[in-house]
Amino acid sequence: MAGKIIADTLEHSTAGSLTTDYVVNGSAKSWVNFNGTGTIATRDSLNVASLTDIGTGNHEINFSSAMSDVNYSRSTHMQRENTTASYANIDGSYNNDTYSTTTLEVRTVYMNAAASGAVDSPIVSNQIFGDLA
Amino acid sequence: MQTPDFKGTHLWDRLCWAKENLDGVQSDYRVVYEDSIDECAKILVPDPNWMACALQGGILPPVWVYHELAKDEASEGFKKHTRGYLLHETQPIEAMTEEEAIEYLIMKDVPQSVWQEWDSGNKPKMVICRKDQLPQTREWRNAWRISDELAA
Repeated sequence: MAGKIIADTLEHSTAGSLTTDYVVNGSAKSWVNFNGTGTIATRDSLNVASLTDIGTGNHEINFSSAMSDVNYSRSTHMQRENTTASYANIDGSYNNDTYSTTTLEVRTVYMNAAASGAVDSPIVSNQIFGDLA
Repeated sequence: MQTPDFKGTHLWDRLCWAKENLDGVQSDYRVVYEDSIDECAKILVPDPNWMACALQGGILPPVWVYHELAKDEASEGFKKHTRGYLLHETQPIEAMTEEEAIEYLIMKDVPQSVWQEWDSGNKPKMVICRKDQLPQTREWRNAWRISDELAA
Protein backbone atom coordinates (compact mmCIF):
# COMPACT_ATOMS: atom_id res chain seq x y z
CA MET A 1 0.00 0.00 0.00
CA ALA A 2 1.24 3.54 -0.74
CA GLY A 3 2.49 5.69 2.14
CA LYS A 4 4.04 2.85 4.16
CA ILE A 5 6.37 3.82 7.02
CA ILE A 6 8.55 1.14 8.55
CA ALA A 7 9.73 2.08 12.04
CA ASP A 8 10.44 0.35 15.33
CA THR A 9 10.40 3.50 17.46
CA LEU A 10 8.44 6.74 17.58
CA GLU A 11 10.29 9.59 19.29
CA HIS A 12 8.75 12.82 20.60
CA SER A 13 10.89 15.95 20.82
CA THR A 14 10.45 16.24 24.60
CA ALA A 15 8.16 13.50 25.89
CA GLY A 16 10.39 10.50 25.17
CA SER A 17 10.05 7.57 22.80
CA LEU A 18 7.74 4.65 22.24
CA THR A 19 8.31 1.43 20.34
CA THR A 20 5.75 0.75 17.63
CA ASP A 21 4.98 -2.55 19.38
CA TYR A 22 2.80 -0.48 21.69
CA VAL A 23 0.83 0.81 18.72
CA VAL A 24 0.47 -2.57 17.03
CA ASN A 25 -0.40 -4.53 20.17
CA GLY A 26 -2.31 -1.77 21.91
CA SER A 27 -4.75 -0.88 19.12
CA ALA A 28 -8.29 -2.21 19.13
CA LYS A 29 -8.63 -4.78 16.34
CA SER A 30 -12.40 -4.51 16.26
CA TRP A 31 -14.97 -2.11 17.67
CA VAL A 32 -18.67 -1.53 17.23
CA ASN A 33 -21.43 0.70 18.56
CA PHE A 34 -24.96 -0.54 17.94
CA ASN A 35 -28.56 -0.11 18.94
CA GLY A 36 -29.67 -3.35 20.59
CA THR A 37 -33.35 -2.44 20.74
CA GLY A 38 -36.04 -2.89 18.07
CA THR A 39 -34.51 -4.33 14.91
CA ILE A 40 -30.90 -3.94 15.96
CA ALA A 41 -28.61 -1.76 13.86
CA THR A 42 -24.94 -0.79 13.80
CA ARG A 43 -24.13 2.90 14.19
CA ASP A 44 -20.44 2.58 13.43
CA SER A 45 -17.74 -0.07 13.52
CA LEU A 46 -14.40 -1.37 12.35
CA ASN A 47 -13.71 -4.97 11.34
CA VAL A 48 -17.30 -6.12 11.82
CA ALA A 49 -19.16 -7.99 9.06
CA SER A 50 -22.51 -8.41 10.77
CA LEU A 51 -24.42 -8.63 14.02
CA THR A 52 -26.75 -11.45 14.98
CA ASP A 53 -29.73 -10.75 17.21
CA ILE A 54 -30.07 -13.96 19.20
CA GLY A 55 -32.71 -12.85 21.68
CA THR A 56 -33.33 -10.38 24.45
CA GLY A 57 -30.00 -8.91 25.56
CA ASN A 58 -28.09 -11.45 23.49
CA HIS A 59 -26.09 -10.62 20.37
CA GLU A 60 -23.26 -12.02 18.28
CA ILE A 61 -20.57 -9.87 16.68
CA ASN A 62 -19.11 -11.40 13.51
CA PHE A 63 -15.65 -10.16 12.50
CA SER A 64 -14.33 -9.58 8.97
CA SER A 65 -10.64 -10.12 9.74
CA ALA A 66 -10.30 -13.12 12.06
CA MET A 67 -8.38 -13.06 15.32
CA SER A 68 -5.42 -15.43 15.49
CA ASP A 69 -6.73 -17.33 18.54
CA VAL A 70 -9.47 -17.09 21.14
CA ASN A 71 -7.25 -15.52 23.81
CA TYR A 72 -8.21 -12.01 22.83
CA SER A 73 -9.58 -9.49 25.29
CA ARG A 74 -13.03 -7.95 25.09
CA SER A 75 -14.76 -5.09 26.81
CA THR A 76 -18.37 -4.05 26.46
CA HIS A 77 -20.53 -1.20 27.66
CA MET A 78 -24.30 -1.00 27.64
CA GLN A 79 -26.73 1.78 28.49
CA ARG A 80 -30.02 0.98 30.18
CA GLU A 81 -33.06 2.27 28.28
CA ASN A 82 -35.58 3.12 30.97
CA THR A 83 -35.30 5.37 33.99
CA THR A 84 -35.35 2.67 36.64
CA ALA A 85 -32.18 2.94 38.67
CA SER A 86 -29.76 0.12 37.90
CA TYR A 87 -26.84 -0.64 40.11
CA ALA A 88 -24.96 -2.53 37.43
CA ASN A 89 -25.12 -3.11 33.71
CA ILE A 90 -23.07 -6.12 32.79
CA ASP A 91 -21.68 -7.90 29.72
CA GLY A 92 -21.24 -11.53 30.60
CA SER A 93 -21.28 -14.92 28.94
CA TYR A 94 -22.00 -18.58 29.63
CA ASN A 95 -19.59 -21.46 29.06
CA ASN A 96 -21.36 -22.54 25.88
CA ASP A 97 -21.64 -19.06 24.35
CA THR A 98 -19.87 -18.52 21.05
CA TYR A 99 -16.30 -17.35 21.54
CA SER A 100 -14.40 -18.07 18.34
CA THR A 101 -11.82 -16.26 16.20
CA THR A 102 -14.58 -14.84 13.99
CA THR A 103 -17.62 -14.57 16.28
CA LEU A 104 -18.18 -13.29 19.79
CA GLU A 105 -21.42 -13.57 21.76
CA VAL A 106 -22.28 -10.59 23.95
CA ARG A 107 -24.99 -10.50 26.61
CA THR A 108 -26.34 -7.33 28.17
CA VAL A 109 -27.71 -7.79 31.66
CA TYR A 110 -28.95 -5.39 34.35
CA MET A 111 -28.98 -5.85 38.07
CA ASN A 112 -30.44 -3.74 40.87
CA ALA A 113 -31.79 -4.28 44.36
CA ALA A 114 -35.17 -5.46 43.11
CA ALA A 115 -34.45 -7.51 40.03
CA SER A 116 -31.98 -8.64 37.42
CA GLY A 117 -32.11 -10.09 33.94
CA ALA A 118 -31.27 -9.80 30.25
CA VAL A 119 -32.22 -6.48 28.70
CA ASP A 120 -31.97 -4.83 25.29
CA SER A 121 -29.88 -1.71 25.35
CA PRO A 122 -30.11 1.33 23.03
CA ILE A 123 -26.34 1.74 23.13
CA VAL A 124 -24.04 -1.28 23.18
CA SER A 125 -20.35 -0.79 22.45
CA ASN A 126 -17.68 -3.45 22.28
CA GLN A 127 -13.92 -3.43 21.68
CA ILE A 128 -11.54 -6.31 20.98
CA PHE A 129 -7.81 -6.31 21.68
CA GLY A 130 -5.45 -9.08 20.65
CA ASP A 131 -3.64 -10.51 17.65
CA LEU A 132 -5.15 -10.79 14.19
CA ALA A 133 -4.77 -13.98 12.12
CA MET B 1 -13.42 5.87 -6.09
CA GLN B 2 -11.03 3.28 -7.44
CA THR B 3 -9.99 0.53 -5.01
CA PRO B 4 -6.18 0.23 -4.76
CA ASP B 5 -4.60 -3.07 -5.78
CA PHE B 6 -4.92 -4.83 -2.43
CA LYS B 7 -3.69 -8.32 -3.29
CA GLY B 8 -1.23 -9.27 -0.54
CA THR B 9 -2.34 -6.39 1.73
CA HIS B 10 -3.49 -7.42 5.21
CA LEU B 11 -7.29 -7.57 5.31
CA TRP B 12 -7.37 -5.30 8.37
CA ASP B 13 -5.46 -2.62 6.44
CA ARG B 14 -7.97 -2.93 3.60
CA LEU B 15 -10.84 -2.47 6.07
CA CYS B 16 -9.11 0.61 7.49
CA TRP B 17 -8.80 2.03 3.97
CA ALA B 18 -12.50 1.40 3.40
CA LYS B 19 -13.39 3.03 6.72
CA GLU B 20 -11.49 6.15 5.67
CA ASN B 21 -12.73 6.34 2.11
CA LEU B 22 -16.19 4.76 1.81
CA ASP B 23 -19.53 5.80 3.27
CA GLY B 24 -21.40 3.08 5.16
CA VAL B 25 -24.38 1.48 3.46
CA GLN B 26 -27.31 0.56 5.73
CA SER B 27 -28.98 -2.42 4.10
CA ASP B 28 -32.70 -3.03 4.54
CA TYR B 29 -32.17 -6.79 4.20
CA ARG B 30 -32.31 -9.04 7.24
CA VAL B 31 -31.75 -12.80 7.39
CA VAL B 32 -33.94 -14.68 9.84
CA TYR B 33 -32.91 -18.24 10.65
CA GLU B 34 -33.49 -21.03 13.13
CA ASP B 35 -30.57 -23.32 13.95
CA SER B 36 -32.11 -25.05 16.94
CA ILE B 37 -35.68 -26.14 17.64
CA ASP B 38 -35.15 -25.17 21.27
CA GLU B 39 -34.18 -21.57 20.55
CA CYS B 40 -35.91 -18.54 19.09
CA ALA B 41 -35.27 -17.25 15.58
CA LYS B 42 -32.00 -15.37 15.09
CA ILE B 43 -31.68 -12.28 12.93
CA LEU B 44 -28.53 -11.50 10.97
CA VAL B 45 -27.94 -7.78 10.35
CA PRO B 46 -25.30 -6.65 7.81
CA ASP B 47 -22.75 -4.12 9.03
CA PRO B 48 -22.90 -0.85 7.02
CA ASN B 49 -19.11 -0.58 6.63
CA TRP B 50 -18.87 -4.20 5.55
CA MET B 51 -21.69 -3.67 3.03
CA ALA B 52 -19.79 -0.69 1.61
CA CYS B 53 -16.74 -2.97 1.12
CA ALA B 54 -18.87 -5.59 -0.60
CA LEU B 55 -20.42 -3.10 -3.02
CA GLN B 56 -17.05 -1.44 -3.71
CA GLY B 57 -15.20 -4.65 -4.62
CA GLY B 58 -11.51 -5.49 -4.35
CA ILE B 59 -11.49 -5.53 -0.54
CA LEU B 60 -13.10 -8.69 0.87
CA PRO B 61 -11.63 -12.18 0.45
CA PRO B 62 -13.69 -14.95 -1.16
CA VAL B 63 -16.02 -16.64 1.31
CA TRP B 64 -14.30 -20.02 0.99
CA VAL B 65 -11.37 -18.53 2.90
CA TYR B 66 -13.57 -18.25 6.01
CA HIS B 67 -14.72 -21.84 5.56
CA GLU B 68 -11.09 -23.02 5.46
CA LEU B 69 -10.30 -21.11 8.65
CA ALA B 70 -13.44 -22.48 10.32
CA LYS B 71 -12.28 -26.01 9.42
CA ASP B 72 -8.91 -25.31 11.02
CA GLU B 73 -10.56 -23.91 14.14
CA ALA B 74 -12.86 -26.93 14.45
CA SER B 75 -9.98 -29.37 14.26
CA GLU B 76 -8.83 -31.12 17.42
CA GLY B 77 -6.05 -29.36 19.27
CA PHE B 78 -6.55 -26.01 17.55
CA LYS B 79 -4.63 -23.29 19.34
CA LYS B 80 -3.88 -20.62 16.77
CA HIS B 81 -4.53 -19.94 13.09
CA THR B 82 -1.57 -20.85 10.89
CA ARG B 83 -3.33 -20.10 7.59
CA GLY B 84 -4.37 -16.52 8.28
CA TYR B 85 -2.47 -15.59 5.12
CA LEU B 86 -5.48 -16.88 3.17
CA LEU B 87 -7.38 -13.79 4.29
CA HIS B 88 -4.66 -11.46 3.09
CA GLU B 89 -3.02 -13.09 0.09
CA THR B 90 -6.04 -14.50 -1.73
CA GLN B 91 -7.21 -12.29 -4.58
CA PRO B 92 -10.02 -10.07 -3.22
CA ILE B 93 -13.41 -10.55 -4.85
CA GLU B 94 -14.98 -8.12 -7.28
CA ALA B 95 -17.88 -5.79 -6.48
CA MET B 96 -21.11 -7.50 -5.52
CA THR B 97 -24.73 -6.40 -5.75
CA GLU B 98 -26.51 -5.96 -2.43
CA GLU B 99 -28.31 -9.27 -2.98
CA GLU B 100 -25.04 -11.08 -3.75
CA ALA B 101 -23.51 -9.53 -0.65
CA ILE B 102 -26.34 -10.92 1.49
CA GLU B 103 -25.75 -14.39 0.01
CA TYR B 104 -22.03 -14.05 0.79
CA LEU B 105 -22.83 -12.96 4.35
CA ILE B 106 -25.19 -15.91 4.84
CA MET B 107 -22.41 -18.29 3.81
CA LYS B 108 -19.96 -16.48 6.10
CA ASP B 109 -21.96 -15.83 9.27
CA VAL B 110 -24.93 -18.23 9.30
CA PRO B 111 -24.19 -21.84 10.38
CA GLN B 112 -23.62 -24.13 7.38
CA SER B 113 -26.19 -26.56 8.76
CA VAL B 114 -28.80 -23.86 8.18
CA TRP B 115 -27.95 -22.43 4.76
CA GLN B 116 -27.01 -25.75 3.14
CA GLU B 117 -30.40 -27.30 3.96
CA TRP B 118 -32.54 -24.26 4.59
CA ASP B 119 -35.61 -25.66 2.81
CA SER B 120 -35.38 -29.40 3.41
CA GLY B 121 -37.73 -29.71 6.41
CA ASN B 122 -41.39 -29.07 7.09
CA LYS B 123 -40.85 -25.34 6.85
CA PRO B 124 -37.95 -23.07 5.83
CA LYS B 125 -35.18 -22.65 8.39
CA MET B 126 -34.09 -19.37 6.86
CA VAL B 127 -35.81 -16.37 5.30
CA ILE B 128 -34.39 -13.21 3.74
CA CYS B 129 -36.70 -10.29 4.35
CA ARG B 130 -36.83 -6.52 4.58
CA LYS B 131 -36.33 -4.78 7.92
CA ASP B 132 -39.90 -3.46 7.91
CA GLN B 133 -41.26 -7.02 7.60
CA LEU B 134 -40.00 -7.83 11.09
CA PRO B 135 -42.13 -7.07 14.16
CA GLN B 136 -41.61 -3.44 15.16
CA THR B 137 -41.54 -4.18 18.88
CA ARG B 138 -39.42 -6.75 20.67
CA GLU B 139 -42.30 -8.06 22.75
CA TRP B 140 -41.80 -11.76 23.52
CA ARG B 141 -38.55 -11.64 21.51
CA ASN B 142 -37.31 -14.90 23.02
CA ALA B 143 -40.28 -16.72 21.51
CA TRP B 144 -39.99 -15.44 17.94
CA ARG B 145 -40.12 -18.17 15.28
CA ILE B 146 -40.30 -18.17 11.50
CA SER B 147 -43.98 -18.15 10.59
CA ASP B 148 -45.49 -21.50 9.63
CA GLU B 149 -47.33 -19.68 6.84
CA LEU B 150 -44.05 -19.45 4.94
CA ALA B 151 -44.16 -23.19 4.38
CA ALA B 152 -47.23 -22.82 2.16
